[in-house]
Amino acid sequence: MMQQQGGSADLAQLQSTMQAIEFACSSIQMHMNPAAAEATILSLNQSPQPYKACQFILENSQVANARFQAAAAIRDAAIREWGFLTTEDKKSLISFCLYYVMQHASSPEGYVQAKVSSVAAQLIKRGWLDFTAVEKETFFYQVNQAILGIHGVDVQFSGINFLESLVSEFSPSTSSAMGLPREFHEQCRMSLELDYLKTFYCWARDTAVGVTKSITESHSEVPEVKVCTAALRLMLQILNWDFLYKTAGTKTGIDVFSPGIRADSSLSKRSECTLVQPGPAWHDVLISSGHVGWLLGLYAALRGKFSCGGYWLDCPIAVSARKLIVQFCSLTGTIFLSDNGQMQEHHLLQLLSGIIPWIDPPVAVSQAIECGKSESEMLDGCRALLSMATVTTPFVFDQLLKSVRPFGTLTLLSTLMCEVIKVLMKNNTDEETWSWEARDILLDTWTTLLMPMDGTGGNALLPPEGINAAANLFSLIAASELRVASASAMNDEDESDYLQASISAMDERLSSYALIARAAVDVATPLLTRLFSELVARIHQGRGIIDPTPTLEELYSLLLITGHVLADEGEGETPLIPNTIQTHFVDILEADKHPVVVLSISIIKFAEQSLDPEVRASVFSPRLMEAVIWFLARWSRTYLMPEEFRDRNFNSGHDHEYQFRQLHSRKALLSFFGEHNQGKLVLDTIVRISVTTLLSYPGEKDLQALTCYQLLHTLVRRKNICVHLVTLDSWRELANAFANDKVLFLLNTANQRSLAQTLVLGASGIRNSEASNQYVRDLMGHTTNYLVELSNKSDLKSVAQQPDVILSVSCLLERLRGAASASEPRTQRSLYEMGFSVMNPLLVLLEAYKHESAVVYLLLKFVVDWVDGQISYLEAQETAAVIDFCMRLLQLYSSYNIGKISLSLSSSLLSEAKTEKYKDLRALLQLLSNLCSKDLVDFSSDSIEAQGTNISEVVYFGLLIVTPLISLELLKYPKLCHDYFSLLSHMLEVYPETVARLNSEAFAHVLGTLDFGLHHQDTEVVNMCLRALKALASFHYKETHAGKIGLGSHTKGIKDQQGNLQEGILSRFLRLLLQLLLFEDYSPDLVSPAADALFPLILCEQDLYQKLANELIERQLNPTLRSRLASALQSLTSSNQLSSTLDRMNYQRFRKNVNNFLINVRSFLRTM
Amino acid sequence: SDEEHHFESKADAGASKTYPQQAGTIRKNGYIVIKNRPCKVVEVSTSKTGKHGHAKCHFVGIDIFNGKKLEDIVPSSHNCDVPHVTRTDYQLIDISEDGFVSLLTENGNTKDDLRLPTDENLLTQIKDGFAEGKDLVVTVMSSMGEEQICALKDIGPK
Repeated sequence: MMQQQGGSADLAQLQSTMQAIEFACSSIQMHMNPAAAEATILSLNQSPQPYKACQFILENSQVANARFQAAAAIRDAAIREWGFLTTEDKKSLISFCLYYVMQHASSPEGYVQAKVSSVAAQLIKRGWLDFTAVEKETFFYQVNQAILGIHGVDVQFSGINFLESLVSEFSPSTSSAMGLPREFHEQCRMSLELDYLKTFYCWARDTAVGVTKSITESHSEVPEVKVCTAALRLMLQILNWDFLYKTAGTKTGIDVFSPGIRADSSLSKRSECTLVQPGPAWHDVLISSGHVGWLLGLYAALRGKFSCGGYWLDCPIAVSARKLIVQFCSLTGTIFLSDNGQMQEHHLLQLLSGIIPWIDPPVAVSQAIECGKSESEMLDGCRALLSMATVTTPFVFDQLLKSVRPFGTLTLLSTLMCEVIKVLMKNNTDEETWSWEARDILLDTWTTLLMPMDGTGGNALLPPEGINAAANLFSLIAASELRVASASAMNDEDESDYLQASISAMDERLSSYALIARAAVDVATPLLTRLFSELVARIHQGRGIIDPTPTLEELYSLLLITGHVLADEGEGETPLIPNTIQTHFVDILEADKHPVVVLSISIIKFAEQSLDPEVRASVFSPRLMEAVIWFLARWSRTYLMPEEFRDRNFNSGHDHEYQFRQLHSRKALLSFFGEHNQGKLVLDTIVRISVTTLLSYPGEKDLQALTCYQLLHTLVRRKNICVHLVTLDSWRELANAFANDKVLFLLNTANQRSLAQTLVLGASGIRNSEASNQYVRDLMGHTTNYLVELSNKSDLKSVAQQPDVILSVSCLLERLRGAASASEPRTQRSLYEMGFSVMNPLLVLLEAYKHESAVVYLLLKFVVDWVDGQISYLEAQETAAVIDFCMRLLQLYSSYNIGKISLSLSSSLLSEAKTEKYKDLRALLQLLSNLCSKDLVDFSSDSIEAQGTNISEVVYFGLLIVTPLISLELLKYPKLCHDYFSLLSHMLEVYPETVARLNSEAFAHVLGTLDFGLHHQDTEVVNMCLRALKALASFHYKETHAGKIGLGSHTKGIKDQQGNLQEGILSRFLRLLLQLLLFEDYSPDLVSPAADALFPLILCEQDLYQKLANELIERQLNPTLRSRLASALQSLTSSNQLSSTLDRMNYQRFRKNVNNFLINVRSFLRTM
Repeated sequence: SDEEHHFESKADAGASKTYPQQAGTIRKNGYIVIKNRPCKVVEVSTSKTGKHGHAKCHFVGIDIFNGKKLEDIVPSSHNCDVPHVTRTDYQLIDISEDGFVSLLTENGNTKDDLRLPTDENLLTQIKDGFAEGKDLVVTVMSSMGEEQICALKDIGPK
């Protein structure tokens, strides 16, 4: 033991250390001079080999906090010094901790015990790969003895607790950092999973089973309860383990096509619920040993005791037991034999029978909770249903209950949820009550059951009884949502409750509702139609008589629900008609009787009434109109002029008659709103409604934004719609209003931008290219003319600052930008001309508005987007013109802004000014990046070199104009910082030769920012800087190797004005990088890129590297460490057959060397 | 109430101090008159008067001269006053003892009626720059009959 080794140690010395730590701990608690106290504790942590002192404190101190700190110090010191502790030292430290935990098992300060326990766990893990099996057995023997209960209940408890810390230490998500690579943690995890986890589980199980009798037989709480609870917790923790290494023979067990039970590959994505898949090796422990029966029996016995003293629904042992039961419900995978899922069904049935009393009968359960019973058991029951839904198909899920009840599980699920919704309706509060939580869990269960399982879109089919259950549930849901809507219509407090926010908050819930509705679509669709027509009738009857607000709110809510039921969101794709809707209505042969058509038409007809000014004023409030527009957008994406119907899958199958009818009804639905049927008419209606919202709802920004961004964008996204769009009078009316109508200049400028984009995109529906270019010219001609005329005005300077002129210019710039961002090959010509014609006016306006940053920003953004859309198509001469324009723009911008200081009394105005500057600069950097892309993507017919344009020089020149404007202060804006360094590293990587030609001042500026970036806290930024550095150094190395000058004079040291010698840049960065790697804090992800930069730097500056290495060694006073360091440095540059060529192989070897080097030396270098 | 803003500003449009503009079109970073003071808008939010009512805009503005924060709520289809804010650059010739600056106008005259700011901080920034012998251009912001130096720019050593 170490105590004996250091036998000469002075007892007085130990005493005084202990007192110092005790004093520090109590002063922290009393907030007296905490800094000094922390320093004292830190010095213990950081002192070399503090073990003896720590052990002394643990054994002798009366101050619990001091013992806690001593344990922490053992951990820190041992992890740090692990590399040079002897095996004996290591083992004795672990034994000490384990012994200590067992010895003091009955100590009242649980947190000290937990800490020591976790220190033992961490040290065991640190040495896991080095200890032999026998050594590990020794530790675990001690633990097993404790768990067996030989030394009493407290020790038993401590033993289980220790295993809990150990398992959590080995699980990647809860492990503590040890300064080791990820592979280490991975290896430990694998080893534990394969060799120990099951043993631990058995220990825990045996302990729990062992104490069960004394718990169930006594009438009050016994000490064994604590042990049992801990054991249940450990079992739960082990079942939560993310099993990866399913022992040998795993593969054979998997039957992907097994009909009853879902294949595990598709499961993981479907639900939040974690699956428990330990593999076949666990079969004996978890399944065949009657383990589940014991667990359910234990809980049933506890249930009987809830009235006795010491036990209640939420007592720890009951909670743990329930959690474990729920966990067992998600057991799946190869642990079950491939017997068509019978074994798993049996397992689930057993669990379900145990759980049923928690949730059935629903009415009684919910009443009991409303009367004050704790809801936790019921909620756990719901969670169990969710878990079961995750691992079964709807059919199997439904069958489970049939063997013990006259109805299926789906019926129970439906009744349970109806009950919950009734409670929700009754106490309609905003507080999160148990019924909220239950509803969410049950809704998740439905979603899990009903979500289409795979890419084929085949929905899980419910049995008929299940369809009824879904139908009942949906009608209750609809009723409750409408009731909530009507009740909330008058409360106005929630000011931010506009459509977008309420949709995204409700979206998840609404899509679950939609799944339930679609499961019973032939009941749900007529129901929605009926509800809708009732509401519409009510609103018309009451016009002018009663306050329509509650009804409006119900309509609003119903539109959202209907939109979700009928169509999917699509996320940028064109969503198909949901499969259940396509296949369900087999008996409908006439399209206009199809329930979905009837529902759609009734809503469109209603929306059309908004065109009548009188009805609009009395019925179509802005908020209702938002829902209408949202619905039309969502509906159009799926139903309006869908892709032509193709007869596929027709020739397969036996039930020909059925298939034929299904096909027919499908075709009827698809073609009803198609191009050759009602499609064009509906499209026209939709466009007219859009024009109305833009013209007749002044100042309703949200409504107009929805119209522009959702509805109109949706229409121009598909070419087959555009073809019809451009022929409509209503569309021409819109285009005309856009160009000429003053009212549209009152739209929010961002909406004008979007409208311009939409209108230009519409050009894709025009058949020939000349006509589409003409269409764009007509659309945008007014805009460019106005700007040209304005810039030619002699009194521009005074006119420009008038508010009305500022407003017009802002609108026009936004419109230009919108048009520019709609750039497509077809209309590229006209959009180029559009931008070209305003080039000079823009430069004039930049001058006129140099103090009006809001306008300047819009101007820059237009140029950015225009260049982005155009650059790759431009011919050499055009490119030269655009580049020339951009450079003049940059120079002008810089000349107006460099050295400018804003003065204001208001700090918020000053910070606004800074933000505006940041946004401008970001736009300028984007402009440069866009120019850069010409070198990567170029569709022009000739090379741009023909006109003597060199993109790299242009961009460097641009960068030189922009960088002086970018202060270190501005680089604190993360996005700007990110853009700047990504551009910089791109430039250095792709065009290092251009940077070599920079003058020394410019060069120094660029590298100054690199220096800044290397110390940035964002690893992404540091990573980019390292890449840039690697590029620079390897460029120099390769060039000089080939006899060229490389970076030339930049690498040489120079004397500055004060006569001090300044190092060359490569030397400077070599020094800096070594310092960073060895002594500073950084993310482990940066080690590899840092190695990549260090390697060429060392090759470039070998002499300096030798010198630095020698300095490092000489600074090391301890001879052991000194020789370790020397040999580590030696192998850094020599092991793994590293040679001095810069190829992939060598970079990889060097990465490996750096990793080893850092593991070896960083810990002691940093603490000295 | 918005009718009163619709007076026609014909011949002397340039001299008008404020312009009517629909509230919904006023954006962050634009200008607005609140309580008869020219303000820069630092925050705009919209809400509805009752769930199914019309939109209204809530403006937070900062007085461009004295830095005070002001707020206003206007129905978004109504008009607001937007101040005519002009900014003119002058070269700084001299700072006089009595707290006035002497500025060189574009056509070669001098403008001597502008007071230095009273705020110590702003004052030092101007004085220090001037004392260092830099060539300074000052930007003078004027609106609704008030003017003030709002920016300095160093255009190289004297």
